[in-house]
Amino acid sequence: MNKYSLVLLCAIFSISAHITFASNPKKEAAQWKYDIECAGTGSEGTFLVKIWTYSNKGTIPNEEAKKNAVHGVLFRGFAANGVGCVSQRPLIKDASIQHEKADYFNSFFGKESPYLKYATISSSVPEVVKVSKKEYKVGYVVSVSKDLLRKDLEVAGIVKSLSAGF
Amino acid sequence: MKNKIMTICLCLFSAALFAQAKKPSLMVVPSDSWCTTNRVMEVYYNQGVEEYIPDYKLALLHADLMNVISKINILMADRGFPLKDLSATMKSINKVNAENSQLTSKTSGAALAESPLDRIRRAAKSDIILEVDWQVKSTGPKKSITYNLRALDAYTSKQVAGAQGTGAPSFSAEVAVLLEEAVLVNMDSFVNQLQAHFDDLLTNGREVTLDLLVFDNGSGVDLESEFGGSELIESIDNWMAQNTVNHRFNKSDATETMALYEGVRIPLYKANGMAQDTDGFARELRSFLKKAPYNLDVKIVNRGLGRAALVIGEK
Repeated sequence: MNKYSLVLLCAIFSISAHITFASNPKKEAAQWKYDIECAGTGSEGTFLVKIWTYSNKGTIPNEEAKKNAVHGVLFRGFAANGVGCVSQRPLIKDASIQHEKADYFNSFFGKESPYLKYATISSSVPEVVKVSKKEYKVGYVVSVSKDLLRKDLEVAGIVKSLSAGF
Repeated sequence: MKNKIMTICLCLFSAALFAQAKKPSLMVVPSDSWCTTNRVMEVYYNQGVEEYIPDYKLALLHADLMNVISKINILMADRGFPLKDLSATMKSINKVNAENSQLTSKTSGAALAESPLDRIRRAAKSDIILEVDWQVKSTGPKKSITYNLRALDAYTSKQVAGAQGTGAPSFSAEVAVLLEEAVLVNMDSFVNQLQAHFDDLLTNGREVTLDLLVFDNGSGVDLESEFGGSELIESIDNWMAQNTVNHRFNKSDATETMALYEGVRIPLYKANGMAQDTDGFARELRSFLKKAPYNLDVKIVNRGLGRAALVIGEK
């Protein structure tokens, strides 16, 4: 009897864990609710972007802006505008890689925050815009070290280097 | 015996495992338009007709051009894809020419055998040409740069990547600074397109061009000659269909004495796993034509990684 109850407990635990940790598209979309736009010409090896993070409050932690900026450069890219920018495609062309390499990206954007080394906040004071009654968007200018980021992704096997195959 | 077979199998397996496709060479050169604007074109008379060709030696004395070439070279090397440098290539050609003109045999004192074709071939060239061009535009005190970088496949004449745009106008920045900014801003999208071209090459085979020609030696053999009931050109078409990736090739032009095959997708590796180029592919076709019922002598002219000519009739 004890044996059966143990097996049953394990099964219930694994099912509940699956339900809790399975990717929920709505939750995921809410986690990455931001807009990215070009903020000018960055120094060599960097992108200068403006990140608008949606929040219930008028403030967000700096880390949140940095995380979204790195995510934006990786998976969204940004359009050209009139301040000398040209449109940039995301470093990772295939967005499904975020799910295929979920372990890597969960750890990358996780507690130890390795993404922080690729982003620097350039604007000391954020720009805050009230979007609706309960929602604000908070804008930070962030410099993202795209060359360093790309090299690390090449080493990790997430993106191919230009000379791959030759 | 078993050991020998095992050793051969292992050798072939390891060759296939570590084989790398032949890497195309890339070189930055100024565009003809830039050379004309900056008056660095050389004039020569081709049978009485005035023709202009870029004088790269003179162009390289232009400081801005050197800076742009150097910047692009640095950024590409940073991407793990170092480029051939135009200036170093020109110097190397001059040095080889000087050395070859003085080289003689110790026993008979004979000079090097050199055909006029050899002399023409000894020019700065690469498999993909990165053609750079820019203009400085002034609106009152403001200056801006219109920049254009194109990657052209030397064999298919296709533009495989490009970046073009006008930078933000500036009151104070020098032209050199604006140029550096233009190179930096446009490089990522350019490299992305180049990467897409390489991905296509690795997936669908290298796209090359083959020229088929016939020697006028009075033998009477041309591309319409019949062997085993079909014309020679038909047999060559069938061979091409069997030996190209997904049977992809395009016979753009053909007469009884010439045929031009473009968009020929050749496999990157030979059957033994070694890297293959157009010269190797042409040699396979030559082996086919050497066998019965054709029994033809064929001369191969290597025109680079992506182009070769086969001349039927003799060597």
